[in-house]
Amino acid sequence: MRRNRPIVSILFWTVSSLITLLPIYWMFIVSAKSRVQLFGSPSFLLTSFFTENYINTLRDPAFQRYMINSIVIATSNAVLVTTLALFATYALSRYKLGGKENVFFWTITNRMAPPAVFLLPLFLLYTQVFVLNDAKLFDTRIGLILLYCVFNLPFAIWTLRSVIDGIPKELDEAAYVDGATTWQVLTKVVLPLAKPGLAVTGILTWVFAWNEYLFAATLTSVHARTVTTGLAEFVTVTGTNWGQMAATAMLTLVPALLVLGLVQRHIVAGLTFGAVKE
Amino acid sequence: MRSSTVGWLFLAPTLVILFIFGVLPFLYVLVIGFTQWNSFAADPTMQYNGVENFRRLMFDDQFLYSLWLTLKFGFFAVASQILLGYLLAQLFMRDFPGKGFFRTVHTLPLVIAPIAVGATWRLLLVPGLGPVPYYLNQWFGYELNISRYIDQAFVATVVMDIWHWTPLVTLTLLAALASLPKEPFEQAQIDGANRFQIFWHVTLPLLKPAILATVFIRLMDALRTVDEVWMLTGGGPGAATRYIGLHIWRVVFPKTDYGYGAAMSLITLYLTIVMCWLLYAGLVARRDLKRAE
Amino acid sequence: MMHCKRLVASAFVATLMASTAPAFADFWSDAAKGLEGATIRGVSESTPPSNYVKDVLAPAFTEATGITVEFEATSWDQMYDKAIKDMEANTGIYDFVYIEQDIIYSYLARDFLVNLSDMMEQNANLKSPDFDISKFTTFIDNFKNADGDVFGVPMEAFVKVYLYRKDLFEDPKVQEAYKAKYNADLKPATNHAEYRQIAEFFTEYAKENGMEMWGTTVQASSGHPASVYEFVESVLPTYGIYNWGIDTQTFAASVENGGQMNSDKAKEALTWWIGNLAYAPPESTSSTWDEVAATFAAGRAAQGLVYGENAAWIATNADKSTVVGKVGVALPPVEAGVMEQAKSGEGYIGYYDGGAFGIPHSSKNKEAALLFLQYIGQESVQADWALAGSRIVHQATYDDPKIVEQDKKVDGYYTLMKEQGPLFRGAPPFPFHNQAREAMAPFIYQAITGELQPAEALDKAAAAVDAELKNLGYRK
Repeated sequence: MRRNRPIVSILFWTVSSLITLLPIYWMFIVSAKSRVQLFGSPSFLLTSFFTENYINTLRDPAFQRYMINSIVIATSNAVLVTTLALFATYALSRYKLGGKENVFFWTITNRMAPPAVFLLPLFLLYTQVFVLNDAKLFDTRIGLILLYCVFNLPFAIWTLRSVIDGIPKELDEAAYVDGATTWQVLTKVVLPLAKPGLAVTGILTWVFAWNEYLFAATLTSVHARTVTTGLAEFVTVTGTNWGQMAATAMLTLVPALLVLGLVQRHIVAGLTFGAVKE
Repeated sequence: MRSSTVGWLFLAPTLVILFIFGVLPFLYVLVIGFTQWNSFAADPTMQYNGVENFRRLMFDDQFLYSLWLTLKFGFFAVASQILLGYLLAQLFMRDFPGKGFFRTVHTLPLVIAPIAVGATWRLLLVPGLGPVPYYLNQWFGYELNISRYIDQAFVATVVMDIWHWTPLVTLTLLAALASLPKEPFEQAQIDGANRFQIFWHVTLPLLKPAILATVFIRLMDALRTVDEVWMLTGGGPGAATRYIGLHIWRVVFPKTDYGYGAAMSLITLYLTIVMCWLLYAGLVARRDLKRAE
Repeated sequence: MMHCKRLVASAFVATLMASTAPAFADFWSDAAKGLEGATIRGVSESTPPSNYVKDVLAPAFTEATGITVEFEATSWDQMYDKAIKDMEANTGIYDFVYIEQDIIYSYLARDFLVNLSDMMEQNANLKSPDFDISKFTTFIDNFKNADGDVFGVPMEAFVKVYLYRKDLFEDPKVQEAYKAKYNADLKPATNHAEYRQIAEFFTEYAKENGMEMWGTTVQASSGHPASVYEFVESVLPTYGIYNWGIDTQTFAASVENGGQMNSDKAKEALTWWIGNLAYAPPESTSSTWDEVAATFAAGRAAQGLVYGENAAWIATNADKSTVVGKVGVALPPVEAGVMEQAKSGEGYIGYYDGGAFGIPHSSKNKEAALLFLQYIGQESVQADWALAGSRIVHQATYDDPKIVEQDKKVDGYYTLMKEQGPLFRGAPPFPFHNQAREAMAPFIYQAITGELQPAEALDKAAAAVDAELKNLGYRK
């Protein structure tokens, strides 16, 4: 057994937490100050709370719309990606597929592309190719939901692969012997055992989708804009409205924290990539 | 083994989506990589110019410097994250009061949008507004100005990346540590191995796949970092933090040099794939070895 | 009166649109017949004048015409990127786009924009009686082609002026200290040597008195093109180097090829400008136009070159600024002979910036967009808009009582713009504006960080611009 020295470890974790929290705390301080209060020597103490930054942001109909868009897009993308990744990893794990290691590696390469240059072809695809009468993928939620698969699917497949691999094949075989269909094996045998892994894959893809900026900025205009693009807009506004930007950033943190809290207990059990249980 | 048709059916949706939104744009980039195309050139049309872009790239100081910087950034950031992440994960393996709370705190940076991370660090580090330069100067007389001193800017971007992504490494390594089998450790203790020997001969080999996998994911993402650095330094001062993602962005967006930018992306993508393939080969070899046992 | 009956009917609408002229309120509904329910979409940089359009003028226009306006106000980089992609790919997402003065020549060269003069002539029913090109200031000339046809309706315009801390400059104690030190009277600088001396004085004065203040602002971001702009548009001309030092006929930048970008005068200018950093607050090397304004508003600089769009809020808005009522406005300092060249029209002393809205050829709602552009170009909406964004595009706005009142609070900024405006000029008519800027930018950044000496930086910048323009096919 390891020796427990609660005082020392609590002290260590407190200091480490303070360092981790410092940037977030500073963002909070900035969000609670008016522009004029930001000038002068910086202070970590808050003497008064300038609520206007928050009120302005919350009242802004654009922000409300951005928030809803972000929630819809991130959630749909996480669900879609996790489901597809479950299918894909199940196939990679349980079926003898020609060149599957290459297929696996190829899916991963989709995450490696430097994003900037791909914006141009995507812009063309979204505005000129995928067009049905007047409907375009440009500036739609579904457009972003599908696009985010490109970098989220590789991640999800990568994470889930070892989770699925770690579920003993004997369980599948036993179920088949009992007369189960493939679909039943997947949903009744594999799915329950993979739950922690799915949860953590879901949350991380959600976070990646929630945080994405470059594609969202280029491929949306008014209707499907997300909160991260809203954040960037504050930065170049005349006088650089840091207070309101910080308030917006704090507010965008809230949904992410809620989602994180929901799966917190799964998060360690689920992230097992590479560590295949024998 | 079951029918491979069903297996391909399960894979199909993934492959279709990746093909449409990943491969089609890639093909387009591949084509324009061999053209001269700038919206505001004297002749703004797209023109085939063979491998001219690639030839130019080999002698393009700014591009090569940016690649070198990116590798340096990736190395320092990912190496520090692995070390720090491993240390934290080991400590999280122990029991202590408030463990759940501290773990949540140490996961927090992960959920903040890169663009907000960049902005936050900018608020921390910009002189005249941020507390860090202010107190460094007050207490130690040290002048911190990341928009003026190139080394400071580089370090700042690395530190920011460490802050943002170490939580991911901690979590994955923690998961790996938690799932390690007990027997090899017990055996080593019986054999009288000391702590370092156990770490070197038992823990490390067992953790290797998880570490490689984490390096793989992190390296991949570090090499295409744009948002955070763009917010923090804009690539400056000078070209000190103009990492390849940002460099390509500047060539393709403000300069509208599509052909050249496409060629740049292709080379970068190629290099990233080669590097990751090497890591991956290491991983697969390891896995096959295990199976053979 | 013929219009009387309708006037009454539209009185309700007119009161809603507090800022529009009731006499023509009915034109809009007439002209918009058949267009009601249409939606037009525009993109602009998120600035106070743009936000005024978004929040006030667009809803009023919708009220008057039944045409919905979707207004995307985004960051400067994004605005360019999206507008250019849309027009390049001919996708028709945007029905009106923001055209900054300096990009107009690139857009015209690519024939991205609709000829508004022609369009109004051909569609008499869409021509608002309250829209008159002759009412605009000469700034509109920037948006005309060689034949005098208009391609953009100006929505903002300002000059980059010399702001100084009037309270300090007029403080007898400060004046005395200055006199004792330099044996000269403290007054706004008229040349670069004086400017430097004042910067040095205030930096030391602040240090001695424990103030968080420096002698000057410098828009010297080491990673954002704002620094390139300050140098080529606000500093080079005051040394008599115009058009960025690029020859407007041969497009040569380097002296070897007949340009002036790395001439001795240009090197002197860069040396002076970089030298100012020693007397500027530490955030200067990360300052774009926004941060320069914020620095001045925070009282951290005694003088500086600041975009006029910020003059009004810095001088009057106590929520954002700590120097309300303490701001003086003057012309930028120049080298000997430059002022004479500017007065004769041969040269200029600074940057006259601004932007307009134009209609891309790719738009699918050109009629509705044309109405909107005329709506925001009406005489009657100008004064309130000017108050909100300190921008003036109509000659008559200068004489509006509200502006005359405001003018006093900003130490005559508007008067200066009205009377001395011709001394300032927009960007040179280059179709390769962004490309040349990006080519020279890295070397200016390196001059700021000190990696390159100013002379070396300009030699390299000029060579890079020459090479880029050759590559783009503008130079043989």
